[in-house]
Amino acid sequence: MEPDVLKKRLAREKMARRQAETLLESKSRELFLASEQAKKSAQLVKAQSKQIQAVLDHAMTAIFLVDENEKVVRANRLAELTFEMSKEELLEINFFDIFADEVREKAHGYDAVEELDKDVNASSTSIESMGRKKSGKTFPIEIAITQLDLDEKKFTVWICRDISHRKEAEKEKAKLQLELSQAQKLESLGTLASGIAHEINTPVQYVSDNGHFLKDAFTDLITVLDAQKALLEAAEAGGVLAEQVGAVKKSEEEADISFLREEVPGSIEQTLDGVSRISKIVTAIKEFSHPGAAEKSLIDINKAIETTLTVARNEWKYIAEVETDFDENLPQVPCLPGEFNQVILNMVINAAHAIESVKNDDLGKITVKTHQVDGKAEIRITDTGCGISEENKKQIFDPFFTTKGVGKGTGQGLSIAYASITQKHGGTITVESTVGTGTTFIIQIPFAEAQTVKEAV
Amino acid sequence: MKGIIFTEFLEMLDEKFDPELTERIIEKAELPSGGAYTTTGTYDHKELVAMVVELSKETEIGITDLVRTYGAYLFGRFVRLYPRFFSGIKDSFTFIEGIEEVVHAEVRKLYQDSKPPMISAARKGDNQLEVIYESERCLGDAAHGLILGCLDYFKEEVEIERENVEDESGKRVRFLLTRAA
Repeated sequence: MEPDVLKKRLAREKMARRQAETLLESKSRELFLASEQAKKSAQLVKAQSKQIQAVLDHAMTAIFLVDENEKVVRANRLAELTFEMSKEELLEINFFDIFADEVREKAHGYDAVEELDKDVNASSTSIESMGRKKSGKTFPIEIAITQLDLDEKKFTVWICRDISHRKEAEKEKAKLQLELSQAQKLESLGTLASGIAHEINTPVQYVSDNGHFLKDAFTDLITVLDAQKALLEAAEAGGVLAEQVGAVKKSEEEADISFLREEVPGSIEQTLDGVSRISKIVTAIKEFSHPGAAEKSLIDINKAIETTLTVARNEWKYIAEVETDFDENLPQVPCLPGEFNQVILNMVINAAHAIESVKNDDLGKITVKTHQVDGKAEIRITDTGCGISEENKKQIFDPFFTTKGVGKGTGQGLSIAYASITQKHGGTITVESTVGTGTTFIIQIPFAEAQTVKEAV
Repeated sequence: MKGIIFTEFLEMLDEKFDPELTERIIEKAELPSGGAYTTTGTYDHKELVAMVVELSKETEIGITDLVRTYGAYLFGRFVRLYPRFFSGIKDSFTFIEGIEEVVHAEVRKLYQDSKPPMISAARKGDNQLEVIYESERCLGDAAHGLILGCLDYFKEEVEIERENVEDESGKRVRFLLTRAA
């Protein structure tokens, strides 16, 4: 190669080398800047990822990101807590394992919202289903599902909320509404019963008066019949008026006077006794259904209990016999009469149900005792029923707690009784019970307020 | 255009003609770069066109033939410089089909500012491949030469039908390759 050519080449190569060096420097700088940018981006991504996880973990619902193979790709803290599984366990399972067996098949068909926009109504897109914890326990859940595409792969986001409490509240609300309607019905019946009692009272009064009149009249008639008998015997002995005597005797035989003499007094007594019982029941109904007083008044609790037992007779008469043992010297007690009657009624009905649950052909026994103890009136209501277990004893005064069958108990009776005696009467209500033997409820109400309370009308 | 296209062109001139001719062409073409190229640098493709024009004048060979010859030469150089692109490839159609996805993708990774031509390939049957070249540089002849170099490398007998698409500017050129039955 000619020296001239070589010189030219050398010059060009030097130029090319300088270009290459400049290029290298420029690329090195670009690389450094890109590396810095990549570091910043990585930090940003890490921070954002942390932020997203923190938001997810603080969300008050369980959130799952699920891929096309039904695998959980991401789950938040509440998902772990709700389904009692660790994050690792959640990432291992088939997503649909979080559903109860009976709904798992159906859950595969749940529709996902494909696009979120302002028209999407969260409540209209949520689905109620049943979830399953790791322990196998099932519980009601509400789900909202959205579909999304990430890196050309399809995912679904499942937002699951445990609605056990809401369902429980709805159930309680329905129960309360039922009770309210029952209470309203009972209130109407009470008003009606009070009116009927008032209407019955008048005819009962004149049936009673007429009964007593007939009793007296029949006593007088017996005197007349005795005199007539003596007259007939004298006429027969004297051999006079034989025809008239025969006619009288014949009419006596036809009327079966001797039978009437024996039976009529008893019939009248029975009638009077029946009327007296009707009168007593009517009075009891009137007293029991008397509108509840807003203020306490002094009442004879023996009488109040007697009244309640009469009213509730239908509840116990085929199940138990009731024995009362009242302290006749018991002072009057300051009470809200309506509420006190209700408490005793609840107790007696509970006692009857406890005896009934034993399923014994023999009648059980309910004993109601009253007496004074340390400035308080004590009422002990004892039954020979099934008894209460130690475990249930802790809960019997809780609202809605019941061991009775469906439709028999609302779980409110004892809770209302407890609230009334302890909060409104300043008393106590306790229970002694042996399973298989029976139960005694002990109510104590202090006399202390007696001086300040007006006597019941 | 990447510097390797220029350095290889100068290499070819030295090899197929002589260094004095190479220097003359560089001088006559009055290149803004002065003919100093690095393989990794980027230069105006018009410099290449200017050198080809001068070479044609010097040698009295048609520009089309020169560019096509350079394309075939360049392919041979690529085989030697970048053997990994050819590893496991058994035929020309398979290689051409992978140019955009494999070769140009790799070029773009190394040189983000590079603008390689768009090469799309579609099979028209077992023995036919339609190749579309698309570039603002209008170097369809270079593409033609590269295809020839490729067929030579794989030692295949293939008939090439060539036509400009849409207009005669040569921005879009269609090659229909048909293997001999």
